[in-house]
Amino acid sequence: MTTSPTPMILVEERASRGLWGDAFVRLRRNKPAIVGVVCIILFVVVALFAPVLAPFDPNKTGLGPSFAPPSREHLAGLDKLGRDELSRVIYGARISLFVGIISVTIGLTIGGILGALAGGAGGKTDTIVMRFVDVMLAVPGILLAIGIVAWLGQGLPQIMLAVAITNAPIFARILRGSLLGLREAEFVTVSRSMGADGRRLLLRHMLPNALTALIVAATLALATAIIDVAGLGFLGLGPPDPSIAEWGTMLTDSTEALRRAPWLIFAPGIAIVISAIGFNLLGDGLRESLDPRLKR
Amino acid sequence: MLKYIVRRLIGAIPVLFGLSIILFAFIHLLPGDPAATILGQHAKPELVAQMRARLGLDLPLWQQYLNYLADLAHGNLGNSFVNNRPVLGEFIVRFPGTIELTIAAMIYSVGLGIPLGRFAARHYQTLSDGAVTVLSLVGISIPIFVLGLTLQYIFAVQLHWLPATGRIDGHLNVPSVTNFMLIDTIIAKDPAAFIDALRHLILPAIALGSIPLAIITRITRASVLDVANEDYVRTARAKGLKEKRVDSRHIMRNAWLPVVTVIGLQFGGLLGGAVITETVFAWNGVGKWVVEAIEAHDYFVIQSSILLFAFIFLVVNLLVDIMYAFLNPRIRYA
Amino acid sequence: MTAAQRAATSRAGVGEPLLTVRDLVVRFRTHDTVVYAVNGVTFDVAGGETVGLVGESGCGKSVTNLAIMRLLAKPAGRIEGGSVVFDGQDLVKMPEQDVREIRGRDVAMIFQDPMTSLNPVLTIEEQLTETLRAHKQVTKESARARAIELLSLVGIPKPETRLSSFPHQFSGGMRQRVMIAMALALEPRLLIADEPTTALDVTIQAQVLELIRDLTQNLGTAVILITHDLGVVAGMTQRINVMYAGFIVEAGLTTDIFAKPSHPYTVGLLHSIPRIDGSDEPLIPIEGAPPNQRVAPVGCPFAPRCQWRLERCASENPVLEAVDSGSVTVLTGATATHRVACFNPPTPEEAAAGRPLREQGSRA
Repeated sequence: MTTSPTPMILVEERASRGLWGDAFVRLRRNKPAIVGVVCIILFVVVALFAPVLAPFDPNKTGLGPSFAPPSREHLAGLDKLGRDELSRVIYGARISLFVGIISVTIGLTIGGILGALAGGAGGKTDTIVMRFVDVMLAVPGILLAIGIVAWLGQGLPQIMLAVAITNAPIFARILRGSLLGLREAEFVTVSRSMGADGRRLLLRHMLPNALTALIVAATLALATAIIDVAGLGFLGLGPPDPSIAEWGTMLTDSTEALRRAPWLIFAPGIAIVISAIGFNLLGDGLRESLDPRLKR
Repeated sequence: MLKYIVRRLIGAIPVLFGLSIILFAFIHLLPGDPAATILGQHAKPELVAQMRARLGLDLPLWQQYLNYLADLAHGNLGNSFVNNRPVLGEFIVRFPGTIELTIAAMIYSVGLGIPLGRFAARHYQTLSDGAVTVLSLVGISIPIFVLGLTLQYIFAVQLHWLPATGRIDGHLNVPSVTNFMLIDTIIAKDPAAFIDALRHLILPAIALGSIPLAIITRITRASVLDVANEDYVRTARAKGLKEKRVDSRHIMRNAWLPVVTVIGLQFGGLLGGAVITETVFAWNGVGKWVVEAIEAHDYFVIQSSILLFAFIFLVVNLLVDIMYAFLNPRIRYA
Repeated sequence: MTAAQRAATSRAGVGEPLLTVRDLVVRFRTHDTVVYAVNGVTFDVAGGETVGLVGESGCGKSVTNLAIMRLLAKPAGRIEGGSVVFDGQDLVKMPEQDVREIRGRDVAMIFQDPMTSLNPVLTIEEQLTETLRAHKQVTKESARARAIELLSLVGIPKPETRLSSFPHQFSGGMRQRVMIAMALALEPRLLIADEPTTALDVTIQAQVLELIRDLTQNLGTAVILITHDLGVVAGMTQRINVMYAGFIVEAGLTTDIFAKPSHPYTVGLLHSIPRIDGSDEPLIPIEGAPPNQRVAPVGCPFAPRCQWRLERCASENPVLEAVDSGSVTVLTGATATHRVACFNPPTPEEAAAGRPLREQGSRA
C-alpha cells in the first residue's frame, strides 16, 4: 500500500453520551414523563415547605363550623372538627413523601438482600430464598400489608414495614435475575479463559442493567407505596394519633359526610392521584428511555 | 401436558407450607401473650389461663404447629371472637359476595382492556395511542377508594342513577340460597330484583376493576406491538394472507399469551382490592368482614382469611398456568 | 393453474424479463432521522434465472427485496421513487389488495432465520395449508394432501406424521425446508431468498442450497438470492448484482465478476475471503466502515475506503457502465453485460493483486 486512505468523512455518528446521557435526551422528549416530573416536583415542594405553604395550623380545631364548604379563606373547606382541610392536605404530603420514600428504601434493602442471596449463591440457597419470595407473593398485595399491620398493630412505622415487605419481592427478583445472569456469564468466562478483562466487561454491562431496572422499579414502587399507604389509612390502620394528617385517614373520616361535604373527599383524593401519577409517568418514561432497544 | 400440571402442583406445595408456617407464627408470635391480647387487657387471669389452654399455648411450639396443620386439614380454622362461629363457615357464607364482585370487575377490565390495548397498538404512535397510554397511566394512579368515593358521589348522590351502597335494595327480600345475589334472584324468579342486584354491582365493579383495566390495556398493547414486529408475521404477509387473518391467527394468537398471565396475576390484585371496595360500598363480602375483624382484633378471622385468599389465588394461578400451557405449544410439548 | 399455464397467460411478452426494477428508492423516516436505505437501484430478472444480490449487512439488499413485495415496515419504510414491474404491472403503484394476491402465489419469499420466521403456536399443517387456501379454493383434504406432497418434496421424512408438529419441534435445517415448501406451494414465478442459509450450520447449508436449486430448476422459478457470502453465490447464480450502501456498484455474469472484478469493493470482497486453492496470498481486509446512511449520499459511497479513489469521486457518483465499452448492454441471461459503476476501475492485474499498482489518484 502506498498511502493510507483518507479519514472516514462520511462515517459520523451522533456521539453517544452513554446510557444515562442518551436516556436523559430521550426522556426530555417524552411529554408524559415531563408532566410526571412536574407533578413530583409539586409534591416534593409542598411536602418540604408545608409549614410555609399551609395557611393554617393543620391541627387547630374549631376554625369554623364543621364541614364548612370551600371559601376564600379555606380553599378546601373545613373538616369534621373544623380544621382547615387544605392545610391538612399540605401536611399530609409530608407524611406520604416520608412514608413512601422510607418504605421503598426498606423494600429495596430487603429485596436487595434476598435477591443478592439468591442470585449470588445460586443453587439451593436460590431455591429456598425464591420459595420464600413466592410465599410472600402468594398473598395478594394489600392483604399482606393488612396482615402485617394487624400483626404489628397500627401506626406509621408498621405501615412502612408492611408496604416495604409488599414491594420487596419485585426488587428481589430483579437483582436475582441479573446476578444469576452474571454467574452464568462468569462461568462461561472461566471456561473460556477470557481472563479478568471479560469479567470487568460483564460487570460494566450486567450491573448497570440491573441498576436501571431497579431504578425504574423503585420509581413505580413509590407510586404504589403512596397509594397503599393511603389505602391502609383508609381502612383505619393508619396512625392512631388523630393529629397526624394522613391522606387515607382523612378520607375515612370524611366518608360519612359524602353528601354534605364532598370537597373533603376530593382534596386529599386529588392529592393522592397527582402524587401517584407523577411517579407512574416518570417511571414509565424512565423505563422507555433506559431501554437500549431503539426499536420503538 | 399432564406432567406439567403435576409439576406445578408439586411446586405449589412448599409455598402452601411456607404460608401456613408464617400464618401460624402470626398468632403465636404476636407481641405479648396472645391469649391476653385476644381477651383484652382487663380480662380475668382465670379466663386468660383458660384461653391459653384452649389455644394450646402451653404446648411446645412444634406440637402447636402440628395441631394447627391437623386443624387446617379438618377445616377447623378456629372461631370468630365476635360471634364465636366457625371461621370457615362464615367465610363460605360471605365469599360468594366477594366472588361476584371480583368476577364483575374482571369482566369489566378484560372486556374493555383487551380491545383498548389492540386499538392502541393498531394506532401506534398516533394521538389515539398516546391518549390510551396516558389514560391508562392515570388509571393506575387512582386508588380504588378515591375512585369509589368519587363514583358514589357523582352517580349516586348527585345523579341518583345508581345505588351507593349494598348489594341489593333492603326492601327486596331475596332468600339466600347460594349467596350469589344474581343467582339467588334468578332462583327466586324475581326479574326486578335481578336488575336491582345488577345495578348495585356496577359502581363497585368499575371501582375495583379500573386499575386492572389500565394494566391489561397496557400489557395487551405492548404484547400486540411486540408480536407485530416478529418475523413470522412478516412471513404470513409474504404468503399473501388477508390482513384480518394475519391479525387473528398470527398476531393475536401469540399476543394472548402474556396477557393471560397478567390476568391471572391481576386476580390477586382484585382479591386484595375487594377488601377496600367492599368497605367503600358496604358490600357484604369477605373483604368487609376482614376489615371489621381487624378492628375487633379477631385474629383467627384475619389469619384464616389471608390463608384462604392465598390458597384461592394459588389455585387461580395454577389454572392460568395450565391455560397458558394449553395456548402455548412450546410449553405443552417441552 | 399450473406454473406453465400461468407462464403462458402472463402479461409479459415473450423475451421480456419477469421482473424489472428501475431506480428504486427506499427511505426510512422516523421523527428525527432519515435512513437512505436504497438509492436508485436498477436490475432485471428473467424467467428461470437465478440472480444473486451480494453485499454486506446494511447495504440495502434485504430492503430492496422487501420493497419489491411491498413488505416494508410501516410507517417508517417507504418507497420514494422508481418502479417495480412484475409481469407487466407496477407493484409500487398497485393497490394493497392486488399486491396481496400476487404475494405467495406469483412471488414468494423465504427469510433468513427459520427459528423466528414460523409461527410458534400453529402446526406445520396449518401454516402450509393457509397459503394454499388463501389463494385457491381447495378443500381441507386436498390442501392436506398437497401439504404432505410438499413436505416430501423438500425432503422431510414421514411427512404425514410431521404435519401436526410445531415449529419448535424441528431442527433449523428442517424448519428452513418447511419455509421453502411454504414458499413454493403455489409454484410462484419468482422466489426471493433472503440469506436462506446464513442461520444454518455449514453442513446443512449445502443441502438447503441444493434443494433450492433443484426445486426452482424443476419449476422454472426465477430466484433472487440475497447473501453476503460469495461462496453461496458462486455455486448458485448465473448473474450477480453487487450492492454497497444502497447502490448497485457492479453487475454481470457470476463467472465474469469472479474472473474480472471491476469495482474496488468487489476486489476487496474477493480478497477478504481465504481461498482453499493453495495460494498463499495474505488476506487484505477492506479498511474502514460502511457509510452512515442517515446522511444523504454525495459522490461515490465507497470513496472514503477506496484505494483507487480520485478527486471527483467525492462529489460525483458514477453510474453503471459496461466494463468493455462499446458492446450493447444486455441486462439478463447468459449474455448479460458486465457493468461497473466506477470512475477508476482496477486493472485486471490490480484486481488480482488486491491493491493499486500505480500512484494513488492517477488513472490507468
